[in-house]
Amino acid sequence: MRRLLAFIARWPTERALRVACWIGLLALALMIAGVVLGTPLAVVASMSVAQGLGVLACLLFGVSIAADGAARRGGGK
Amino acid sequence: MGSVGTPIGAAAVLTALAAASLLIHHIVVRPKLAGTTRLKLLLGLAVLPFIAAVTTTASGMQRTTEREFCGSCHVMETHLTDLVDPTSLSLAARHSRNPMMGPHACYTCHADYGMLGYPMTKLKGMSHVYYYYLGGYRNWDLRRFHAEVRVAKPFPNANCKQCHSGTLSSFSNVREHLGMQEELESNRVSCASAGCHGVAHRFSKRPEEL
Repeated sequence: MRRLLAFIARWPTERALRVACWIGLLALALMIAGVVLGTPLAVVASMSVAQGLGVLACLLFGVSIAADGAARRGGGK
Repeated sequence: MGSVGTPIGAAAVLTALAAASLLIHHIVVRPKLAGTTRLKLLLGLAVLPFIAAVTTTASGMQRTTEREFCGSCHVMETHLTDLVDPTSLSLAARHSRNPMMGPHACYTCHADYGMLGYPMTKLKGMSHVYYYYLGGYRNWDLRRFHAEVRVAKPFPNANCKQCHSGTLSSFSNVREHLGMQEELESNRVSCASAGCHGVAHRFSKRPEEL
């Protein structure tokens, strides 16, 4: 538990959220490319790589929000 | 052009653009992590991308059933040219002229029948992508491709029977069908073989295969 709290305390929330935004943008670009281009590689990438990146971005967002919430609670005590 | 003109394709693009605009706003403006910012990020990183992923997948799966998609690799050009040729008498072209199959002719005939036919066909289709981009087919000319590459497994008669049930007397009374009933049911003889209804894509076969 202490390790987790120490990890959360060090978590760079703002930077992680910006990284999540960039990864999310890349994922969305791949999805759009798959639909617009319709070529085999683009379609396969939009249904695999793009979704993997999207999940990664979403996880970064979730961890960042959790870390921010924990930091606020810690600061309030 | 892809499937952006279809309702599901347009929905995918619009949702992705909406999510992208929220993300770009966050990157450019760098707002403080207040409640509104969290909500916008939730929309831009989770809710809208999830909808975009679902619609993209639906659109992509639909796209992979279109004959132009199959014909977009150069080794399939002759197959597509033959399919859309109104004067071609090949088995594939005659079936492709049927509006039930037309735009999805490759998928309709080659997709396996049964409950798992759709996902298994899609999974096996990934091997085509692998062979084309990593297996060297991309650099092959058509002559070599036609000479060396054959369908991965014998064409299952069950696929023909999706439409041609074989239950009417016009089928069962045919002497050849009667004589080869067991071979046809066990797939030892394909409907689309030389001497029967002929191979589907004649131009891709060696003379001894016709």
